[in-house]
Amino acid sequence: MSIGTKIYAQLGGDRAIWMIVAILVIISLLTVYSATGTIAYKERAGNTEFYLIKHFMFVIAGMFLTYLCYMMHYMQYSRMAPYLLLISIPLLVYTIGFGAEINEAKRWITVPIIDLTFQTSDFAKLALIIYIARAISSKQDYIKDFNSAFLPLIVPILIICGLIAPADLSSALLLFFTCVVMMFIGRVDLKFIGLLLFLGVVVFAFLIVLGSFFPEAIRVDTWISRVRDFMENSDGGYQIQQAKIAIADGGIFGAGPGNSMQRNFLPAPYSDFIYAVICEEYGLFGGFVILCLYVLLFFRCASMVTRSPKAFGAILALGLGLSIVFQALANIAVSVHMVPVTGLTLPMVSMGGTSFIFSSIAFGIILSVSRYIEKTT
Amino acid sequence: MATVKNELLIRVYVVLFVIVLAAIAVFAKAVKIQVFEGDKWRAKGDSLYVKYKPVFAERGNIMAEDGSMLATSLPFFEIRMDFKSDAMDDKLFEENLDSLAYCLATYVSNSHTVGGYRELLMERKAAGDRYFLIKKNVTYPELQKIKKFPIFNLGRYKGGFIVIRQSKRNRPFRMLAQRTIGYVRDDGNPVGLEGYFNKTLGGEAGKQLMQRVSHNTWIPVNDLTEIEPKNGDDLVTTIDINLQDIVHEALLRGLKHHDANHGTAILMDVKTGAIKAISNIGRTDLGWWETYNYAIGSATEPGSTFKAAAMLALLEDGHVNLDDSIRIYNGKMQFYEEEMVDASSESFKLDTTSVRRAFEISSNVAMGSLVQKHYGKNKKGAEFIKRLKSFNLHLPTGIEIEGEAPPIIKEAYSKEDDWSGTTLPWMSIGYELTVTPLQLLTFYNAVANNGKMMKPYLVSEIQQFGEPVEKIKPTVIKRQIAKPASVQKLQELLEGVVEVGTARGLATNKYRFAGKTGTAQINYRKFKPRANIKYQASFAGYFPAENPVYSCIVLVNEPKEHGFYGGEVAGPIFREIADQCFATRIELHEPINTRGRNELATNQLPNMDVGKREDIQSVLSYLDIEHTPTSRGNWSVVKADADTISLQRRTIKEDVVPNVVGMGLRDALFILENLGLKVVVSGIGKVKLQSIKSGTRIKGQTIKLTLK
Repeated sequence: MSIGTKIYAQLGGDRAIWMIVAILVIISLLTVYSATGTIAYKERAGNTEFYLIKHFMFVIAGMFLTYLCYMMHYMQYSRMAPYLLLISIPLLVYTIGFGAEINEAKRWITVPIIDLTFQTSDFAKLALIIYIARAISSKQDYIKDFNSAFLPLIVPILIICGLIAPADLSSALLLFFTCVVMMFIGRVDLKFIGLLLFLGVVVFAFLIVLGSFFPEAIRVDTWISRVRDFMENSDGGYQIQQAKIAIADGGIFGAGPGNSMQRNFLPAPYSDFIYAVICEEYGLFGGFVILCLYVLLFFRCASMVTRSPKAFGAILALGLGLSIVFQALANIAVSVHMVPVTGLTLPMVSMGGTSFIFSSIAFGIILSVSRYIEKTT
Repeated sequence: MATVKNELLIRVYVVLFVIVLAAIAVFAKAVKIQVFEGDKWRAKGDSLYVKYKPVFAERGNIMAEDGSMLATSLPFFEIRMDFKSDAMDDKLFEENLDSLAYCLATYVSNSHTVGGYRELLMERKAAGDRYFLIKKNVTYPELQKIKKFPIFNLGRYKGGFIVIRQSKRNRPFRMLAQRTIGYVRDDGNPVGLEGYFNKTLGGEAGKQLMQRVSHNTWIPVNDLTEIEPKNGDDLVTTIDINLQDIVHEALLRGLKHHDANHGTAILMDVKTGAIKAISNIGRTDLGWWETYNYAIGSATEPGSTFKAAAMLALLEDGHVNLDDSIRIYNGKMQFYEEEMVDASSESFKLDTTSVRRAFEISSNVAMGSLVQKHYGKNKKGAEFIKRLKSFNLHLPTGIEIEGEAPPIIKEAYSKEDDWSGTTLPWMSIGYELTVTPLQLLTFYNAVANNGKMMKPYLVSEIQQFGEPVEKIKPTVIKRQIAKPASVQKLQELLEGVVEVGTARGLATNKYRFAGKTGTAQINYRKFKPRANIKYQASFAGYFPAENPVYSCIVLVNEPKEHGFYGGEVAGPIFREIADQCFATRIELHEPINTRGRNELATNQLPNMDVGKREDIQSVLSYLDIEHTPTSRGNWSVVKADADTISLQRRTIKEDVVPNVVGMGLRDALFILENLGLKVVVSGIGKVKLQSIKSGTRIKGQTIKLTLK
């Protein structure tokens, strides 16, 4: 019995999801190594291994966390949810006020002692999704009620999303949308969902007005210019054109690992535009496999709901699955020029600190749920 | 309950369906880009083709011994503008267009007016020019100014400001040692030190990502280089720029005077083998120029200067004593079918003379017959060759210049080398073998250095940012090329050549030097008998004879005017070089008198000279002249009596014309003009007369000074 099959036999939970994680991580290591060639030249005097090793450390840490979260019973998350949510609000406020600025956006805080930058919205996202899953499952019996079910749900959503939005609108919208879909699945009345969407628009409008007073805290200018770029320029801006060239150059089976040319031009080819690099090196085929992996992940999450519809675990897995697949689709849609440019990473594939770590945690929680659902059914 | 479950499942399926649809849509878009728009994007990708292009490192300098630059790279820049730069803001461009146009018209070029520039910039912007030429050959200070222009000050991305760095190799001393300094060009072989040390000087190229914007135009993608180039190291040579100048000028004058074809001269430091000066001058269509390194690259038959080597072989093998008598048959002797003839008129009068005298008058017959007698029989020719090889004459010197011609010394009795019965005698007088001037000088230098043969070298140190990276020490080729007694005898002969031999016309009473003349026939085989024969005149030697400091060889090819003998063509050039070396190098002079100081004659003393008290006192103290100092007044007059010197005060009062007689003009002018007088001067020297008597009141008069 080889080590691989041994591990496979040992691991509980949804084996398909384990496979998805493994494949994504392998693709991630290969593509990040290739895509960092240019910045390695620029910033590390050609030491191309530097970013590979750095990313590899994150992968190791991420896999460890996945395993840790998988080992914990998922009901633990339910108990932690309100506290996590309470912690995340001051964190987000602090980030807006005193966060570290990277690429002209205040999305990070620096963790003392270990001196790593940490994107607080990732943490808040996780906390909110767990909280919403818990709320939806616990209020299933009176879920169509406005005061007792709907209000407790929407207040944290609007607060958290509203706090994320100034510096990172795309993450906020994505999280908002994830929560809306979770509520939709959780049988919240369609009327209320319509109301929630309306409220979202109101908060957004409020932010834009606020933005004209605090242009440094709320990046309204960037939003407008990106949307305008998307609307006005049918070929896309410089970045998008580079991504399209990458996709076109890749052909059906790609130029092969490490042969990307466009990595030299794409901004952040190792994170925001990593899908374009994957398409260039592995072709449409590679691009298709990546899409299928995310869709398959969501299939597996959805199947848990069909097995255990009301359970907190099922809703939680579904919410996390939704969050991952939405983010993946949003990231890919940017590369193929279907939406304006965002700063979203490709979950479990893009190089990058907290995004990768929280994706790993999300996968770990999903796997934890799958383990117990398998046991109970 | 079932309805709850159903409702939930239906909603899950709806979401699932939407997600699958979204995934399909995204993928369909990718397929569209890849398949339907593929050609368009791929073509665009080709036009954006990039690659890493080398960024050339700054080439190191080549310096003379004292640090003056022999070759250095001067940076200059080309400035262009990329109107389609990624981050160029149209609004900003429009706002700053006028000021940029103004700056360009004012500071960069007057080819356009402000309005003209404005229109030009707008037109290029509209055309989307990515590589618009602002100015070529911009110097560094100019670049610093242009960098600050509006729009340009935003840099590469926002301002579209492209700077292309270039550099130009510059030789501040122009023709001096030009060929030895050399060059590296893309076409053709590298030459000289530049060629030999190309790697050291060249450094390591960096890399920069360059993007192709049109057929043959590349612009940097980023502002900075991706990998910084590593600048080349500097070379400190052994060349003494003053001596180089002396050697060059002397050689050039000689070549012109004798209407020669080309010539070379090398000056070497005897103790170390360091080359202090090396000149190669040839006639070209454009005048005299350093076009070929004859000193190193050209091995020729040396002629009589080689007799020193043959004689050292004879001495070393104990075959001759300087005072042995030898028959020279009135300067003519038959070796098999060839006749050897002397060039000296003295030879024709002598049937027998001493070995010493025969060498001094450069008798071919004497050398030929001596070598033939001692090595020409019983297969002993190999001993002669072996001896020459022990003087290292068969090997290149290994000088740090590409293309050193190897010497050719025939192997004894070798058929391949065309060894014949006449080879030995002709070798003894410097034919049937070739050496370069530098190789022969290395031998002479060893003789001057009492037998210790030093490797000639040009580079003494490799530096980086003024700090030594590598020091190159003198290298000994051979500790002793021959027994000290043999070398000493040869030295005696070489001194004799100058004192009473073929170079006696060159001797000077200022210092003694030693050497050997040479007059080689260049085309003696082709033009037999003597018709239209061409010569190569040479002189190799060293100075001062007693304690040699420099060795030197001078070679003049095809002199056509004013004689052709080594002693009359190359010798004077050697002498001029030696004279100038003496004139400029005080350490070469023997102390003029080593006895006690002579009594100073009163009339040599600076009697009645007037000047600043402190200056006079310091001059007298420096010269160690006893004097009675004074501590009074700014100005002093020197009073020299028969046995004492004293300083007396010269008073300068306000409003009264002072006595300036005895002062230098500088002092007199300073004092008089400060007092409000107008000064008119005639003559040179010190003030002899002043038109207004001292003590007269000053009211702005004009005073005439007569100097003498």
